Amino acid sequence: MKDIKILIEHWGKIDSLKIEDYLEVGGYKALEEFILGMDRMGALGEIKKSGLCGRGGAGFPTGTKFEMVYKQIGKKYFICNLDESEPGTYKDRLIVDKNPHLLLEGIIISALIVGADKAYVYINGNYQKQKEILEMALLQAKKKKFWGNKILESDYSLKIEIYSGAGAYICGEETALVNSIEGQRGEPKLRPPYPTECGLLGRSTAVNNAETIASIPWIILNGGEKYSKIGSKNSPGTKLFILSGAINNPGIYEAPTGITVKKLIDDYAGGIKRGKEFWFAQIGGACGKLLLEKELKAKMEFGKECECPLGSGSILVVDKSVNIHDLLISWADFFRRESCGKCVPCREGTFRLWEIAKRFKDGKISERDKEAIQDILWTLERTTFCPLGKFAGTAFRDAITKNILTF
Amino acid sequence: MNIKINNKIYKVKEWETVLDVCRREGIRIPTLCGFEGLPREAVCRLCLVEIGGRLVASCTAKAFDGLEIITESDDINKARRINLELLWADHAGKCATCKKNKMCELQRLAEEYKIENFHFIPRKGEITGCEELDLIRDNWSRVVVENENPCISRNSELCIECKRCINICPEKKFGFNHRGSDIVVGTPYEKVLDCSFCGKCIEVCPTGALTDKNDYVKIVEELDNLKKFSVAVLDFAITEKILKQIENITQEKKIEKLLIRLGFEKVIQLEKENSEDEIIKNIKTEYAKQEKINSNDMVVFFISSKIYKKAKKDNYLDYVLSEREVARLVRDKEKMREGKIKI
Repeated sequence: MKDIKILIEHWGKIDSLKIEDYLEVGGYKALEEFILGMDRMGALGEIKKSGLCGRGGAGFPTGTKFEMVYKQIGKKYFICNLDESEPGTYKDRLIVDKNPHLLLEGIIISALIVGADKAYVYINGNYQKQKEILEMALLQAKKKKFWGNKILESDYSLKIEIYSGAGAYICGEETALVNSIEGQRGEPKLRPPYPTECGLLGRSTAVNNAETIASIPWIILNGGEKYSKIGSKNSPGTKLFILSGAINNPGIYEAPTGITVKKLIDDYAGGIKRGKEFWFAQIGGACGKLLLEKELKAKMEFGKECECPLGSGSILVVDKSVNIHDLLISWADFFRRESCGKCVPCREGTFRLWEIAKRFKDGKISERDKEAIQDILWTLERTTFCPLGKFAGTAFRDAITKNILTF
Repeated sequence: MNIKINNKIYKVKEWETVLDVCRREGIRIPTLCGFEGLPREAVCRLCLVEIGGRLVASCTAKAFDGLEIITESDDINKARRINLELLWADHAGKCATCKKNKMCELQRLAEEYKIENFHFIPRKGEITGCEELDLIRDNWSRVVVENENPCISRNSELCIECKRCINICPEKKFGFNHRGSDIVVGTPYEKVLDCSFCGKCIEVCPTGALTDKNDYVKIVEELDNLKKFSVAVLDFAITEKILKQIENITQEKKIEKLLIRLGFEKVIQLEKENSEDEIIKNIKTEYAKQEKINSNDMVVFFISSKIYKKAKKDNYLDYVLSEREVARLVRDKEKMREGKIKI
């Protein structure tokens, strides 16, 4: 099972600036297969059968999302969410760096399946180099008639545009992303209506993470059934895991879902560094949960019943030499900076949390601050407008409940 | 359609929100960001109610058949208290000197929810010691104060980012600048506000962040000066607005009596068909001649909602007061009558 590679198969072997390299290893075969041998309905069926779910963190079934947009009538949009800004996560960046045409192929197929005639790639404003690579890839693919008017002489047509954000974390949230493309302030909108009904410019829109989209060509070529047998039952497939911290081989690994954290750390990342003592691992970036040693058997999967939400797939291994207060300030500062500032609990709460974390730096804390932390974490979890605020206190809360942080 | 609020059944119409129903039925739900006629932003998170054990903002929660809602519980109260505290922490201690003291929605809510002993260290005050100087600097950097334009005073120190002014402005002059806790409601690139000064933003502002610009101390001086003859020209239909503003401050309902008490010597009521400019011009010319008063000793006040008139003062018109500024004068006068302030 360890050897199944869907996303990273050609990484390092092909030149990302040359479409010929990708064509040589069988690139754009899935697109040909889709156009020549399938109809939209059939392709949608394959994706539903595959059980693929959103790799951005929420884990929403991709087939269901596609179907919602597929069923809508009128003009539709497809958006590839490349606004990756979770601390410690760089999977989407590497997808573009190493094999941009795989992503592009996925975008074209997905957009055609849902019936969109315009696709956007919403890229993080800090990804300048990746934007250039994608522009190059788009140019080459257009020459080969993989997108544009009459794709591969068929009746399908598709326009693709790269839209560069300004690097805001909140713009990874789909409604904020739609706002951003529309030229509005990047802040979340009330859901429902969901973008699948009323998204970009009021039209039905599918917003999908880049990693999800990059899995689609494989599913089209090999069939949904085969994909659904990989990894865990509830959220099958492979996932990119980014390991960092006190491990021997930090980096990005592709592994089937359902793998345990322990296995990832020991088998993939070469175990804990010599002389370091494992303390806890943070799963899924700054908004992720903390796992102690005894909890490392947690399976990495999506879904409501999972033990630990997988988030973006980043795993930060923290050893006992780390000053927990530095981490606290870093988490709190990130959310204080990246909150859109729209709703009260998130705007004021993240600020106060950061303020308290700074005062708490030397390990001393007043009674008043202790109560305040509990209050803020409570209100963040229950009353914020969007998920950013809800998860802003997760790490903080875990640090307290799991006795990593002691008053 | 029927919904259940606190175990009582109510009939609702389609597209009504939970807040609409509660308001109609007289069930108290506090709100700050919501305002009649403006889009529901759901940002203050005070109108929370419990639906299926979860806290939901009632202003945007659509009512549907069979919905069960609880409007008062320990969790709801706790959430409202914490969120109010977070907002209130910004305001702590400034009320006594605020233009909107006793006329402020936030202050009223803080009193209702008894926010007296708050856990959050105020952004100003109480921070001592040099090691925390950087905290003070961080906090102060957020404040934008603007007094450059002729009609509207802006002070973001008192702003609670409710978005009302952003939504109501017909010229879309306001927006959020920066993000997160650095957020400031302001003009693009913090340029001096330049608009037609319709004053709608001041009307809706729940706190003292947007207020009428004036020379308050001088106005009080002029009114108290016995040598000066102060004339109030009341705009058409302004009386009701003034009385609404001061309903919590004084029992007095006769506008002329109130104004005379404030120090005005003469009150002129405008009718709908009157031309205000003409009448104002007449005061310092014909009326002065008729009453044998030196026009230099006359002070003419135009009491009106048209705050753009503040920019068009001339020899014939000295001050323009809005209904809110009259209320402020009344408020301060009442304080003196109660003997709270001794001069």
